[in-house]
Amino acid sequence: VTACARCETALEPGDLRCAICALPVPAAAPPAVAEPRAQLLRCRDCGAAIGFSPEASAPRCGFCGQAMAIEQPIDPPEAAQLHLPFTVDRAAAEAAMRCWLAGRGWFAPRALASEAVLESLTPLSWAAWRVQAEALVAWAADSDAGAERSAWAPHAGQVPLVFRDIVVPASRGLRHAECRRLLPYYDWSTAIAVDREPLLGAIERFDILRSAARRTVQAAIEATARVRIQPHIPGRRYRNVRVACLVERQTTERVALPAWILIYHYRGTAYRALVHGQRADRVHGRAPLDRRKLALLVGLVGLVGLAAAIAKLALG
Amino acid sequence: MVDASATALPDAATFACGQCGASLRFAGVRTEACPYCASPNFVERPARARSPRPGLVIAFAADAARARQQLAGWLGSRSWFADARLRRARVEDLRGVYVPAYLYSAVAHTEYTASIGEHYTEIEMRPMRPMGETGEIGEIGEPVTEARRVTRTEYRPLAGRHVGYVTDVLVSASTGLAAAELAALEPFELGQLRRYAPALVTGWIAEEFSREPDGCRRASREAALDEIALELRRFLPGDSHCDLAWRTTVEWESLEPILVPVWVLAVRYRDDRPALRVVINGQTGAVAGRVPWTAWKIAAAIALAVLAVAAVLVVWHGAPP
Repeated sequence: VTACARCETALEPGDLRCAICALPVPAAAPPAVAEPRAQLLRCRDCGAAIGFSPEASAPRCGFCGQAMAIEQPIDPPEAAQLHLPFTVDRAAAEAAMRCWLAGRGWFAPRALASEAVLESLTPLSWAAWRVQAEALVAWAADSDAGAERSAWAPHAGQVPLVFRDIVVPASRGLRHAECRRLLPYYDWSTAIAVDREPLLGAIERFDILRSAARRTVQAAIEATARVRIQPHIPGRRYRNVRVACLVERQTTERVALPAWILIYHYRGTAYRALVHGQRADRVHGRAPLDRRKLALLVGLVGLVGLAAAIAKLALG
Repeated sequence: MVDASATALPDAATFACGQCGASLRFAGVRTEACPYCASPNFVERPARARSPRPGLVIAFAADAARARQQLAGWLGSRSWFADARLRRARVEDLRGVYVPAYLYSAVAHTEYTASIGEHYTEIEMRPMRPMGETGEIGEIGEPVTEARRVTRTEYRPLAGRHVGYVTDVLVSASTGLAAAELAALEPFELGQLRRYAPALVTGWIAEEFSREPDGCRRASREAALDEIALELRRFLPGDSHCDLAWRTTVEWESLEPILVPVWVLAVRYRDDRPALRVVINGQTGAVAGRVPWTAWKIAAAIALAVLAVAAVLVVWHGAPP
């Protein structure tokens, strides 16, 4: 079976139920029972009759302790299927970082670019899911269209939507906000199977179990649907946007996306920054702030406020 | 514990023990321990409409000792109103049972109408109450008004649709475990479902399906419709709503026979009372049971509450003449 009979979502090896609609996957027909009879499960080592043991999560012999290997629940951590290659090499990433440090603006310490010490610059392919799906989306919302005494009037509708290339971060190492900043700049036409070409650096494991991953992906589809139906809401302003999705034909690919993770020290404190693995001009990260300049700014704002208050009092 | 929709147990059958050949009677179960050699026998019978072969199973995750610990923790955490002898109760019977159930899922299309309340504010002029002779506002009897911001609700009709899959609705297919008892043990971690195999249940009591699938389907559908009703109330926009009416059509219904692990216990806390029945989720350890309350503790609490209210009233209004 390759697709769910109810929602046509692609099934993966080991699935007992469809991840989207929970329709059970048909099992192979059980062995025909010609004449029912009492049976025993016997230990393969000592031949004793054995029963299921919760500790072993399998039948285990009470005499010799031997556990029988049986099919276990399949909810595995998953591995990347596709990856995008690095097009920014180490030297370019380091240069991008130096350039980024030099351009941190007036509030950054003046000596940041010259005194920052690069501790590590590591290539990492971080984990994400790429999702394709179709859905019938029912929505309801308040908008200003048709409003009377209240500023809001209720509206509802239903619309079929096609979702292409929704990318959902699955990284444990990178923060969600960091992933969101990197995502728009990947060239998806370069995607290749993981086993076709060796990767530069490490590939992040999908630490999330399959069942938890599917909940995350579902939440991402709903969040995308909430944005995509907004053009269908009449009026200019809206609130309380609710969506209900009947997702069909969903496919999910596990992808690894390239980034350089760099750690640098400035006057004893470690900071992290990311250089996009395919665009050296996209660098994001934390940089120190010059406290004296900040204090100066706060003082100036205070003085201006004080002067304004005095002027107001003087003018009556 | 047995409801009116329950059907009779499947026919009992007698087979020879696979170890010693003694006669074993399988009455409403798929497994039986031989009373002579204690061998855990199981039987595979052809599936029938009323008694299907389980498709999936959730295995027991802990042994009887762990179940006893969970019971002790639960008995110790009962409220003050529960019978104090519960804490010293003894477990008379503890059995791990694979209870038959159905796992229902479907596609649900709902059409609804409702009146959606949208709040708005108005400035309202209201007469103020004079403040008395020393009042700062107006003279006694002189009408004075004040402007007040009041929130009102405008109701607008809305007709719309809701769609979605209803999944993970579990209903008991056992005459021995009522639907409410199973519901009290939920949720089960369905990510740990396994394909049914006798190796997963041998050595334990695996009950046969003893409720009609049609009845279970109806019960599942009702539970699914209740779930949709709750979801629909969260789905509606506006600040409030009323007059909600809806019609749900379910398609693609699936009713999968499964076995779920439940510890069933009899707890004796008084010799002159029937044993208390307690059930424990064999996967998560959740405990459910109807705890007996102590009448004198409830009476004392009511009396104390009445006395407290009376004391407050006396202090507030002064002692009666």
